[in-house]
Amino acid sequence: MFKDLDPILHSQLRLAVMSLLIGVKEAEFTYIKEKTGATAGNLSVQVQKLKDVGYIDVTKQFKDNYPQTLCRVTSAGIKAFEVYVQALQEYIKK
Amino acid sequence: MENNFSPQQSLDLIQEMISKTKANLGENSIYFLLWGWVTFLAIIGQFFLKVVLGNEHHYLVWLLTIPTAIITIIYSARRHNKHKVKTYIGESMSYLWTGIGISFFILSMIISNSSGGWANAWPFFILMYGLGTFVSGMILKFRPLVIGGVISWVLSLVSVFVAFDYQLLLAAAAILSSYIIPGHLLRSNNK
Repeated sequence: MFKDLDPILHSQLRLAVMSLLIGVKEAEFTYIKEKTGATAGNLSVQVQKLKDVGYIDVTKQFKDNYPQTLCRVTSAGIKAFEVYVQALQEYIKK
Repeated sequence: MENNFSPQQSLDLIQEMISKTKANLGENSIYFLLWGWVTFLAIIGQFFLKVVLGNEHHYLVWLLTIPTAIITIIYSARRHNKHKVKTYIGESMSYLWTGIGISFFILSMIISNSSGGWANAWPFFILMYGLGTFVSGMILKFRPLVIGGVISWVLSLVSVFVAFDYQLLLAAAAILSSYIIPGHLLRSNNK
C-alpha cells in the first residue's frame, strides 16, 4: 500500500531514531535508547541498518574508560528524511 | 508487521521524537542568575563603598567574579560530560558566552591601559551585556531576554552622558533587566 515510502525509514524504531537525530548535532546510543524506549539489542540492529545505508554516522570511542557510541545524521540521511516526510504528506492529502 | 503503520502514525511519531529533543530552556537560567546576582551585588557594593563610604578600594568588589568564573567553568564542564546529546542551541549558547567572556577580559585589559581609564568602561560593558542577552534571546526564542538586551543597549547609550557614579546605577539596572529578571522568568518557564 505504501510502496513509495522509503522502507528503511518506514519502520517505527528506525524512524524514531532518525527523528531524534534530525534535530540535534549528535547523540549517545544510551540517549536514543532512553528516548525511544527500545531494547539495546533491537536498537543496535536498527542503528546498524541506518548506518549501512549511509543515513547516519556512528562513532565508537572511550569516555572516562567507558565505551561510548555517538550517532549523528548524515546529509544523505537528512535528504532521505525530507523525501520521506514529503511522501507521507502526499499520502495524507489523498 | 512493524511496517504497516499509517502515514499519520508516522508523522505523529516524528513529531513526538522531535519534541523530546527540544532544548530545556530552564537549564540556561542558572548562568543568567549566577552572573546576574554576582554582578548586581558587585555593582551595588562598589556604589556603596565609593559614594556612601568614600572608600578608595571600591573596585576590589570585582574580585568576586574570579570564583564565579571558576564555578561556571567547573559546573559547565561537568554538565557537558553528563550530557548524552549535543544540540545546536546548546553549542551556540556556549560559543556565544565563551566569546563574550573572552571579550570582557580583553576589554578590561584595553580599558586599564587606555588614557580615559575606568571612567569610560561602563558604556562598553553595558553594551556587551546587551549583545550577549539579545543574541541568547534570539537563539532560545525567549522574548524577555531580547527585551533585556535592547534595554541594555539603550542604557549603554544613556550612560555615556552621566558621571561614573551614576553609570554604576545604570549598569545595575542593565543587569536587572538583562540577566536577573529574564533569568528568573526562564527558570519559572521550566517548571
